[in-house]
Formats: sequence, C-alpha cells, structure tokens
Amino acid sequence: MDTPMKLLELRNVHKAYGTLAPGEFATLDNVTLTVEEHEFVSIIGPSGCGKSTLLQILAGLMPPTSGDVQLGGVAYSEPPPGVICLFQQYAKSLFPWLTVEANVAFVMETMPGMSRAAARQESLRYLDMVGLAGAAKKYPWQLSGGMQQRVAIARALAARPRVLLLDEPFSAVDALTRFDLQSLILKLWHEQNLTIILVTHDVDEAVFLSDRIALLSGKPTRVAELVETGLARPRNQITTREQPRFLELRHHLMEHLLSPSLVDAQHA
Amino acid sequence: MLERLGDRLVGIVWLPLAVGIWQLAISVGKVNPALLPPPGSVFLTLHELVVSGDVVAPVTETLGMLLASYATACIAAIALGLCMGCNQAIYRLFEPLVELMRPVPKSALLPPLFLFLGVGWPAMFTVVTLGAFFPVLINTIQGVRGIDTTLIDTARTFRCSARRTVLRVILPATLPAIFTGMRVSLGLGMVLIVLAEMLGGEGGLGFVLLDMQRSFRVVDMYAWLVVLAAVGLGLSAGFTCLEKLLLPWRSHT
Repeated sequence: MDTPMKLLELRNVHKAYGTLAPGEFATLDNVTLTVEEHEFVSIIGPSGCGKSTLLQILAGLMPPTSGDVQLGGVAYSEPPPGVICLFQQYAKSLFPWLTVEANVAFVMETMPGMSRAAARQESLRYLDMVGLAGAAKKYPWQLSGGMQQRVAIARALAARPRVLLLDEPFSAVDALTRFDLQSLILKLWHEQNLTIILVTHDVDEAVFLSDRIALLSGKPTRVAELVETGLARPRNQITTREQPRFLELRHHLMEHLLSPSLVDAQHA
Repeated sequence: MLERLGDRLVGIVWLPLAVGIWQLAISVGKVNPALLPPPGSVFLTLHELVVSGDVVAPVTETLGMLLASYATACIAAIALGLCMGCNQAIYRLFEPLVELMRPVPKSALLPPLFLFLGVGWPAMFTVVTLGAFFPVLINTIQGVRGIDTTLIDTARTFRCSARRTVLRVILPATLPAIFTGMRVSLGLGMVLIVLAEMLGGEGGLGFVLLDMQRSFRVVDMYAWLVVLAAVGLGLSAGFTCLEKLLLPWRSHT
C-alpha cells in the first residue's frame, strides 16, 4: 500500500450558535482532525459535546463559524459530491410515500445517463448488498427498524459515496440487530472501499469498528485524544471483543468519558 | 372483517330510527304534514326523480361547478402554500394579505361579487374558490413548516436540486397536511355552492331546493334535500377513498 492519502480535513473548526453569554462555551472550539482515504474513524465524546454538530459540518449541512472543512483539499460549506450522511432517525429519513426500491432508486435518477427504469434495476443490486432484495416492493413502514436502517444504508450506497458519515446510526435498534448492522457496515466499508466517519456514544462500538478514535473533550469541545485501535481485521463480533487490546482501549475511553463528574455523583 | 362490518352497522341504526320518529310524529299528529310530509311520500318522490332522470341535470350542474372551483382552489393554494412555506420572503409578502382575507366569511362576498361579475356562474365560481382556498393554504404552509429537518437534510446530503427537493420531497411529505385542509375545504365548498345557487343559480341543487320551497312543493323540496345529502355523503366517501389510495402511509407515521 502507498502512503495513505489525506481525504477529509477539519481545520480549526469553531462553531457557536448565536452569541454566547458570559461563562458559556462555544459548541465546538478549535477542532482539527484529518481522515485518510479508506479509514474508519469514530468520534466519541460526552453527551452534549457537539458530536452531531461536528458531523453536520463534515456533511456540509451546516457551515462552521470559523475554520474550514476540506475534501481532497477543497473547502466546502454545502454537501459535496461523494459525501453522504446516514442519519440516526432512519424512519424520518426514508420517504414513506415511496417503496423500498423507489427510495433507493431516488438517489440514482438524476445521475447522468440513468433512466428511471435503469435506476429501479440498479436499486435491486444495492438492496441485495444489504440482504433486502426480497423487500423491494414493500414500503419502509412495513419493515422493522433494523430493516429500515438497511434500506437507508442501501440508499446511501446507491449514491456512490467516497465518504460515509454515520450519525449514531445503530442507537435506535435493539442490541442484537446492532451487532448485525455493525458487521454489515464493516463488510460494505471493505467491499466498497469507503471512508467512514462514525459519531457514536457507544464505546464498544467505536473500538470494535474503528481504525482510529477521536475522543472529544466536554465543552469547550476539542479533540482531547486520538487513539489508534490497532486491532486486527477482519474483526469478529465475539473474539475481537475478547482481546486484551479491546478491553484496554475500552477501559481507557470509559475512564475518560465517565470521569470525574459521574464518579463524584456516586458518592453524593 | 365481520366484526368491523358489525361496528359500522351499529351507527346506521340511527337512520331507520330517525325515519321512524319522523313517521311517528306525523302519525300522532304532532307535526303538520304540510310542513313535513310523511317519509313515504318523500321517498316515493325521490324514487320518481331518480327513475325519470330529472335528478341528473341539477346534480351535474352543482357537482361540476363545485369540483371546478374546488380543484382551482386546491391547486392554487398548494402552489402558494409551498412557496410561502419554503421561502421566508414570499411568506412575509403574502402573510398580511392572507390574514386579512382569511377571517372574512366568504358567503358575505357574494353580494359584491354579484355587483362586479353579474348574477351568474363567474361570481359563484369565485366565491367557492375563495372559500376552499384558505384552509388548504393554511394547512399547506403549516405542513411544510412541520417537516422534520432530517427529511430536508436527507434531500441535501443527496444533493437534490431546489426543484427536486420541493416536488419530490417537500410536496409528498406535506400531502397529509394538505389533505386535512382539503377535507375542510370540501365541506366549506359544499355549503358555499348551495348558498350561491340559492342566491344566483339557475338550475343547481341549491336553486332547485329554494325553488321547490317557494312554489310550495314541499314533498319535492325534501326529496331534493335527500339528494343533496347523498351528494355530500358521496363526495366525502370519495375523498376518503382518494386519501387512502394516495396516502397509504398516513396511518403509519
């Protein structure tokens, strides 16, 4: 493998909503992060630290107050081509008036040289990747939560992204389905040569999936630490989670996320 | 299925009961049959109206006028509502005018409309269109504003053009709210068309109804009233069917 290429870059990103009262901190204060081609990076931090805001800025859905975000060296403030965001609330992101197949085809219809019929045909290929070819003619609301998120994943893939941004995508499904979706995302990440940035509050999930983890501080929010997981791939839902390195990382991150306020609270 | 049919039949019990009370009131001499003839004679007249085909022309005229103005109102209100909902500048431009016009009882506009447009279909068309316009407009605007930001962000992350976002994302997402407004408008439109026909019509159901009353053909008047009720019921049922057909997701989200 050649030297890895810088793909996404957050440079001194600062985000404040409105004007700040004295003693109030900006949501994001000087966040710098570089993500390389085909990396899997997780962003983790205490709740309310601005993780989702950071992802919105990465998606081009929200401009930073200062600093910039670049894709392949080009700054952007609108969603750039090739960067697709997958939302936590899949049920609100899928179009309930379209069938599963039409939801996926929707993002391909405007591609050059793609007819509506061809987009429908193509959508089956993407649904097959997420194991939902049989549900093509159903409506999203006829499917379970896990299946709906699979449709959303298929739709995101159909847009042929280089970068996939995941905003706590598995937090609304049950624990077993979450394992399935994590494995599916890793498989697709590998097969489609994607670069993935995941925002999560689930330490185990971040360690299990990522190459690197950006640990955010509480407000004012910065990248407190960048952790290289160094866990071997392909990862295994059972054995990877039993490795000493996995437990060590988990311990380290939990210590960061839970201390000191929560520990103190237990004494009260 | 049988149970659901049973549930609905319970409500229909009122129909024979009402007719029974009606008949009873006349039989015991509590009601003057000159004002309220017995149900039997009304239904007989109704039967004649239907068999002879006399019912067709007024129903067609009323329905035609109603549907033409209703469709015009809906299309205009949805278009303006989408613009006002999506664009703050357009909203600020039209909002005062809408707030000024909305509370005016549209029936009160008939006399001046008759002055300007003459006593005839243009004035009737205008009043029904105006009446049906506002509920759809208000619901469309509120529907657009109530759209979850995730849906808009979805359109943005897939780089949909403004036109595609409005027509393929915002419009369908607003349809449930639009239909709520359209249901209100259909009822209002029905009231206004009958009133307009009474005041300026030459053959619709409202005209015939008042004409029968004025010429003391009381039995016919009640028969036409039943026709009018049936038309209203049919429109409402048709609307419900259309809603189920176009918005199958409505009850699921």
